[in-house]
Amino acid sequence: MDLAPTTRDELAAMLQEASAHGRVLDIRGGGLHSRRGRPFTPDDTILTRGLSRVVDYVPDDMTITVEGGVTIAEILAAIGGHRQAWPQAPADPTATVGGVLAAAVSGRRRLRDGPVRDSLLEVVVATGDGRIIKGGGRTVKTVTGYDLPRLLTGSLGTLGVIVQATLRVWPVPMAEQWFTAHGDDGDMLAIAHGVLAGRHRPAAVILTPGAAHVCLTGVPDDMVAPPGMAEGSEPVAPMGPGTVQMGVPPAALPAVVRHLSLEARPFEAWLGTGICHVIAHDAADVTAVRDLATSHSGHAQVVDGDDALRADPFGPVPAGADIMRHLRSSFDPAGILCPGRFAAAAPVPA
Amino acid sequence: MTGGAGHLADRLRALLGPERLLDGNLARNLYAHDGSIVTGDCGMVALPETTEEVATCMAMAHAAGVEVTPRGSGTGLAGGAVPLEGGLVISLARMREMGEVDTANACVWVQPGVLNLDVSMAVEHLGLHYAPDPSSQAACSIGGNVGTNAGGPHCLAYGVTVQHVLGLELVRPDGQVVVLGGEAPDPPGFDLRGVVVGAEGTVGVVTRVLLRLTPLPPDVRTMLLDFMTVAEASATVQAIIAEGIIPAALEMMDRNMALAVEEFVHAGLPTDAAALLLVEVDGTRAEVDTATGIVEAVAHRHGVRTVRVARDEEERALLWKARKTAFGAVARVRPSYYLHDCVVPRTRLVEIMEAIGEITARERVICLNVFHAGDGNLHPIIALDRSDPDETERAMRAGDQIVRACIALGGTLSGEHGIGVEKREYMPLVFDSGDLEAQACVRRAFDPDGRMNPGKVLPTGTRCGEVGLADTQVPEGTWI
Repeated sequence: MDLAPTTRDELAAMLQEASAHGRVLDIRGGGLHSRRGRPFTPDDTILTRGLSRVVDYVPDDMTITVEGGVTIAEILAAIGGHRQAWPQAPADPTATVGGVLAAAVSGRRRLRDGPVRDSLLEVVVATGDGRIIKGGGRTVKTVTGYDLPRLLTGSLGTLGVIVQATLRVWPVPMAEQWFTAHGDDGDMLAIAHGVLAGRHRPAAVILTPGAAHVCLTGVPDDMVAPPGMAEGSEPVAPMGPGTVQMGVPPAALPAVVRHLSLEARPFEAWLGTGICHVIAHDAADVTAVRDLATSHSGHAQVVDGDDALRADPFGPVPAGADIMRHLRSSFDPAGILCPGRFAAAAPVPA
Repeated sequence: MTGGAGHLADRLRALLGPERLLDGNLARNLYAHDGSIVTGDCGMVALPETTEEVATCMAMAHAAGVEVTPRGSGTGLAGGAVPLEGGLVISLARMREMGEVDTANACVWVQPGVLNLDVSMAVEHLGLHYAPDPSSQAACSIGGNVGTNAGGPHCLAYGVTVQHVLGLELVRPDGQVVVLGGEAPDPPGFDLRGVVVGAEGTVGVVTRVLLRLTPLPPDVRTMLLDFMTVAEASATVQAIIAEGIIPAALEMMDRNMALAVEEFVHAGLPTDAAALLLVEVDGTRAEVDTATGIVEAVAHRHGVRTVRVARDEEERALLWKARKTAFGAVARVRPSYYLHDCVVPRTRLVEIMEAIGEITARERVICLNVFHAGDGNLHPIIALDRSDPDETERAMRAGDQIVRACIALGGTLSGEHGIGVEKREYMPLVFDSGDLEAQACVRRAFDPDGRMNPGKVLPTGTRCGEVGLADTQVPEGTWI
């Protein structure tokens, strides 16, 4: 059954009820990042789009407080008139704030603007047993207490439902331009390397099969095409049945790109950040991509895919898993929130 | 010393030798203090040199049930490194090794005792720097910076410590060693690295840190602006950012502070102005030129008297010296000082500066202001002579009222110094009991026995409660 709360109190009551009866819940915002982690069968699904209020926006403070179901398009509508943006977020207009944060989805300008977790200042979360908890603070800088905003970012709904978020927003750059080049991978890597080593701090240096894409932000005088490139456009994300996100040390990414090209796998590599998205058709692809990441001291997780692709979504159990389990028990004592999502094929240490 | 602790001292002495396990009166008195005005109670001090030694110390303390307080350089201003109830202080001051710089990935592993400024100095020839730059950077350690999630003037554009720590090695309260995060971004699972940074030593002892290094900007320009009213200076801060410019740093200094600093730095600060702004912009030459033009135009609209642009690196260094030695300059006014580092929304700067003026006048204390205006992070420094009980009492009262005024304006307790002991009882001003209980649960997930730096961060009596006492049943094959 779908549950669609419109207030935090309604949501809290639903969670209390579900915890009391052991009903397993999935949580859904825009539905763009729901196919993550090992599949599980929910009894009910919480739809967060009803938590749709822009609570507070002070343009001169460059902070906005919104409920978790507010979409990126709605945020941009609120702040765009003041020439402000949320550059750490992805560009999907229908994604919700809660979904983007719960899945820790960062945008393509991560190289210059940083990951999405850096933009969350304060978070209000409804725990599995329906408590409403606030962490962080609404000012642009705070070390007041434990960093719940960072803990919640990327928790994939297993610690609570994001009810409200205060985000740090930024001025829209005076100028922004994408540049593109096409050619073989060696040439594209050389071009990308030149941009990364240059004086300008690029917002994005992205390689896709046979192409390089660079985004420069800053002042108009700096919007000069890097050597070998011409004015172009943002890359089109590779499409396929599933997507694996690799994280490797940034310097390993060129070698990863060469390997992926040899195997003719569609990919989108964010140079300078160590992030690479690779299309996977089946579980064997996931394993191959993970092996490649591991051989470069990295890791790989399935960020989109059907049930078969998500049998082993994360690979080896990370360090500190017992701490994570303790955290989970405090925030979701009945274990009803997305249980099974953080699964490993290998035996789990006690 | 109780039997358990006495036995622990013997075991630690056997491990570290008598010169690295201190339990004489002098050491115990020394380590009962840090940069704050808090006085604690130190049982003994261990000075390990390796991760293995820290792990063994922690395992021994675990077995003995003794509380542990980690300590960096002890420059903290909130009492975070002060042990409160005897117990063991683990000083990381001897762990000062810096690994080989990974230039390809722009990062370096360092031990926690490495001083902040030494990192930037060691990588400058590679065109890199470590961006967080607290004013105490010549003395404070990376481990302490991680504990407090330290900031600094350049955090306005570059972000605070947690944004520059890619990974860390943590010795857990039972002596287990775990590495969280690393060079590869976004590892699976919860961001425990992000929780450890800023946890003020309450979740374990950090023994190695992987620091992100940032390219030095190709161009930089530093400006000193002076105003005849604090209100004009505050309005300029707000207007610069409203124009879409995020300077690398945007600092304010009031007249009291400028007078104290100028006396010994001789940076040519105008001491007749009510407020000075130190503004630094960086980037490409075009970015710097554009930002400089906007800053000057905005300042003129808001009544700036003069705009002084540093002509060369020497002048720039002098202006920064004036800023970064400001706390020390207070000694010319009174032997000691007391300050909070509350943050207010930038749009409330004018109001809070007026409120601070009224409060300190009412309490008849000398207040010097020097702070990170761009992000609203105040440092109202109340100069005091601690041998004067009446003045000390008035300083405490003024500090208390300033904190409450900040919170009333939508602010928060600390921007970069941490909560420590000093501000823990203020936590209920910003969090309700449920929020604090949840924070206690986060802490307990790392430290089930509550032996790590007890009495810090959370107000007395805060407990995790009954929830989550037993681990939630997780489905087979899952780790959370």
